[in-house]
Amino acid sequence: MRLDRRTFMAGTAAAGLVGFGKPALAQEKVVKIGMPMDFTRVYTFVTAEYSQGHRDYLTLVNERGGVNGHKIVADITDHANDIPRAIEAYERMKREGAVLIDPLSTPVARALVPRALEDKINMITTLSGRSDAADGTAFPYVMPASPNYWTQAGILIDYFRQQDKDLKGKKIVFVHIDTPFGREPLPILQALAAKLGFTLQTFPYTPPGNDQAAIWPQVRRARPDWVVFWGAGVGQTTALSEAVRNGLPMDRLSSSVWLSESDMEVVGKDAVKGVIKFEACAGGRDPKVIQAILKDVVGKGKGAGPEGKVGTSYYNIGVMMAAIVAEGVRKAFEKAPNGPITGPWLNDGLHAIANFTADGMLPGITVTKEDHQGGGKGRVARWDGGKFVPQTDWFTANQDLVWAEIRKYSAEFKKTGK
Amino acid sequence: MDLWLIGELALTGALVGLMYALVAVGIVLVYKTSGVANFAQGAIAMSGGYATWAIAAFLGLPMWVAIPLALVAMFGFGMLVEHAVLRHMVGQPVIMIIMVTFGIEIFLRGFMPGTFGVAVKRLDLGIPQAPMFLGEMLINRAYLVGGAVSAALILAAIVLFNSRAGIVMRAVSDDQGASWSVGIRVERAIAVAWGLAGATATAAGILWGSVQGIDWSLSLLLMKALAIAILGGLDSIPGVLLAGLIVGVCESLATGVIDPLVGGGTRDIVASVIIVLTLLVRPYGLFGREHIERV
Repeated sequence: MRLDRRTFMAGTAAAGLVGFGKPALAQEKVVKIGMPMDFTRVYTFVTAEYSQGHRDYLTLVNERGGVNGHKIVADITDHANDIPRAIEAYERMKREGAVLIDPLSTPVARALVPRALEDKINMITTLSGRSDAADGTAFPYVMPASPNYWTQAGILIDYFRQQDKDLKGKKIVFVHIDTPFGREPLPILQALAAKLGFTLQTFPYTPPGNDQAAIWPQVRRARPDWVVFWGAGVGQTTALSEAVRNGLPMDRLSSSVWLSESDMEVVGKDAVKGVIKFEACAGGRDPKVIQAILKDVVGKGKGAGPEGKVGTSYYNIGVMMAAIVAEGVRKAFEKAPNGPITGPWLNDGLHAIANFTADGMLPGITVTKEDHQGGGKGRVARWDGGKFVPQTDWFTANQDLVWAEIRKYSAEFKKTGK
Repeated sequence: MDLWLIGELALTGALVGLMYALVAVGIVLVYKTSGVANFAQGAIAMSGGYATWAIAAFLGLPMWVAIPLALVAMFGFGMLVEHAVLRHMVGQPVIMIIMVTFGIEIFLRGFMPGTFGVAVKRLDLGIPQAPMFLGEMLINRAYLVGGAVSAALILAAIVLFNSRAGIVMRAVSDDQGASWSVGIRVERAIAVAWGLAGATATAAGILWGSVQGIDWSLSLLLMKALAIAILGGLDSIPGVLLAGLIVGVCESLATGVIDPLVGGGTRDIVASVIIVLTLLVRPYGLFGREHIERV
């Protein structure tokens, strides 16, 4: 196609009109948040479903008139887990007035911490990022608002203790991806081993974990009482497959929050019956919020992705985090109805979240100036061949050890900035 | 040290090594025929896995129909790559051709997950998952089947290269000008080599896909395949067989023996060390011909 001068001029004029339209849009009542995420490289196993749930919840809120007449507008972009790209996206979003960023990536979140703290832009680190960011006194603008990996490990170990009554003399094997994320729970597991008297044996595997053939024979021969496997994406499906092929009892296998229905499908839904995992929010379609999304968003053709994904573990985690952000916005308007809408304004709102359950979907999140974990509650769920079924009520455990670690590392951050 | 564990790791490693070697066969086939180092082989294996899954999932076909269809499709894809891309690179510096195959690798690694979705896909070949024991050693059925199929296909490739068609390909490899002069259709021989590389990569992609599921990480097989092709000799298919066993066993034993001493992470280093040592000590590999240039 040839581009003649008239077409070029008409196009330029049209582009200009669109440009002139921007100030008008800017007058709309909006709260801008940034969602630079990894849609294409490492966190692909979770991002699409998480983002879908997040967007569907925001659509639900906005269709109902928003919060205090303000729509929550998410700017979504792909950072591909690439730190320079993520920083570029962060800076653009900051310029455009974003008051919150959700990068959903541990390395990106780590890289953005100094900027978020300096710029006073709230950074959500859902079930990821630095575990010591739970200490709000050291990280006032970093908001995990969800149980960190130390808490997740602490809750799993406590569940084992509840099942076996006493872990003294027991052997717990920890199979993990050999990355900072995979190594994160080690301090807590070691501390718990010393406290409760179990033997901890660790087996790191090379990322991304698609070949664990030589790991699981060793796990089997260790004759563990419990196995915790800690990875993501293909690392999880491969770990489960190898555990099945090595004849390990499935009801003694457990995972962090990063295990989904689709992982179970890949390995074989029936073959992995009995596997347990940590849950930060209710899964499935039963929660009222998910029902509302199905009726008012998906049912009206406004869903952000495939209907089949609504209610999956990762979708619901996306809904959970969008609900927490929306609650923070609501609280911020309660405290300062006239704004101005800035990072500190939303920060005050997030810090005012108290016992928030999103209509029963969450354990009851309370964020304080000190505790950015939100209380550190979760539960254990078991795969029954079709879905994850809760085995416990919402609870927390071993928080004395978890907070000792949090304070140790956050003190180091305060001192050195690292 | 538990000898049963060593035995089990060595056996599993050997079977895994054979499955790696099937990916390496495509590298050798292309190099042997055209002198081109094919760095797209890992992504072609991944694409073959995706193609098989897509045929079964979207057309609702059973696996025994989907697999041959995928093999034929990927044979065609290999020939297409040669025809549409590599043929236009004739006369260009070697580094340009290597970069083109790298480009294909990167393109496929983004294109296939982008098209079919990034979540891991299930590829069920019906191999029983229940453990099978030989004394105290576990025989992993998935690797047993994968290793046996890989060995059979590699042996078939050896037979092919001793057939009439294989002699034509070897002639092309030895001297393209002379081959032309005696009436051999050099382009077609090279295209067939690329087609076979596509088909063997697909077979590997299917076997590995049944073990780990289908996703982008199948393309990482390239590293192992390169180590095997270089160790075995870039123009030797029997070399691939032996090198596959060596790489697989070394990796497995490193994980079981060295990892506990150093805290992990040695598995992938093994392939790198093998590549470096081979190029330093015996650049033409165990069975390669000495005139081979380093790539």
